[in-house]
Amino acid sequence: MNSSSDRTHGPIVIESLSKYYNKFLALDNLSLRIEDNENIGLLGPNGAGKSTTLKILCGLLRPSSGAAYIDGINVLEKPEQALSRIGAVVETPEFYPFFTPKEILNYLGRLRGMQGDRLRRRIEEVIGLVGLKEWVTVKVEKFSRGMKQRLGVAQALLHDPPILILDEPALGLDPRGMVEFREIIEKVGKEKTVFFASHQLVEVAQICKTVAIIDHGRLLAYDDIAQLERKYQSLERAYLELTGGSL
Amino acid sequence: MSEFHKLRVVTRYEFLKHLRRKRLYIVLGVALVTEVVVLILVPVLMEGYPDNVVVMAALLSIGPSLAAFGGVFLAGDAIAGEFEGKTGYILFPNPVRRITLVVGKYLACCAAVTLLIVFVYAIVSISLFAIYGEVLLETAKSFGLCLLYAGSVLSVTFFFSSISKGAMGATVIALVFIIVISGVIDGILMMAGQPHWFMLSTNQDSIVLVYGGYELFMEGFMPGGMLPFEIETPDINLSILSMVIYMVAGFVLSAWISKRRQLG
Repeated sequence: MNSSSDRTHGPIVIESLSKYYNKFLALDNLSLRIEDNENIGLLGPNGAGKSTTLKILCGLLRPSSGAAYIDGINVLEKPEQALSRIGAVVETPEFYPFFTPKEILNYLGRLRGMQGDRLRRRIEEVIGLVGLKEWVTVKVEKFSRGMKQRLGVAQALLHDPPILILDEPALGLDPRGMVEFREIIEKVGKEKTVFFASHQLVEVAQICKTVAIIDHGRLLAYDDIAQLERKYQSLERAYLELTGGSL
Repeated sequence: MSEFHKLRVVTRYEFLKHLRRKRLYIVLGVALVTEVVVLILVPVLMEGYPDNVVVMAALLSIGPSLAAFGGVFLAGDAIAGEFEGKTGYILFPNPVRRITLVVGKYLACCAAVTLLIVFVYAIVSISLFAIYGEVLLETAKSFGLCLLYAGSVLSVTFFFSSISKGAMGATVIALVFIIVISGVIDGILMMAGQPHWFMLSTNQDSIVLVYGGYELFMEGFMPGGMLPFEIETPDINLSILSMVIYMVAGFVLSAWISKRRQLG
């Protein structure tokens, strides 16, 4: 393996990523490497650059400089190839209101090359997994925010991708929904790489062993939660101290 | 999976979206009401239908023109809506080229508008046959021009949809461009005796003018076909060229802009 492929090897590799929105620097030379089957929580205050990072990985934004790789594939150079490896929930997902979950999942599944019995069975599985069985033929226009979030998770899991990229995936879920969501991610996270952004430290601590903490677009810490807890006494204290807050 | 297969999937589901939305049926309703009004008012105001079938055919071409123009309401949110409604967060992270999505959306809009136009031309043909016992060859030509006009309207609207933040804004800008800006410039050029074949509003007229000149069309409103000033009827071939240019340029620009557009 040459040095270039060594450098980009891994499910997700972020290399010196910078992103300007006009003059505002949202990402400042951010680098991160995520290993196989790791569940990584991306933590940071509002405006830290979490969503920008995930959107670049999903091909929704172009970085001002730097590169992002998914399974060694440059997202900017070969976006379709890179995106075929991921399932994503970015922001609060919105769906075409006049479609039912079944139709939406059929559409997205077919776009990813699924069809026939395989697609039908997989739709049943993921719909069951996110608890939308009774709503499968109801138009999305009648859905609450939490139900759309569940459908968002369902479409991310539909094609059984090796990598999940999730941006505040539990946002809008009721307490039962949050518990169910955590169970889903814990289950699928054993076989997949999960990279997810969240404000919820408790949620992250329950799902992930490792966190990346960023602020002002810069990586402040990337370590095991156990390590951070040893160093700062708790994950909460680590987060607050690193992001400039106080207890 | 080939990009062509993905294009088929996108087109199919985008077309299904049009079938599910009210605006397709509203445009169809407006076009049908227009035809019914023409069929009722002409004999009432002119003491019977015109003797010349061509005049009546020209008058009934208003409905298809409106149906083609209604493409603005179908295409306005095609691209802008994905950004404004945030549905792009679900659609764009799929392994599909942005160009495939735009082409699929465009083809779906074309299919929906074609459906409208076919339906209204069926009404025109049935009406002419019921009243005069014949259907004109020019009606087929008018149908072809109407499809071409619809294609150019869709492309222009796609262009505005690709540069607009919101779907409503894209629709309004497209309407203003096609009706107000194009209409006003067209009117000025027409009265000044200058060439105006390259204006979209003139191109729309070609759907009717295929039956004859402006005088013939005006005969439907003013027996004798008197016009307040002399107007040269534009060359249909030049109108076709103009519509092809609008269609290609508008679509290529919208595809290029959509490909570069970011969803922040």
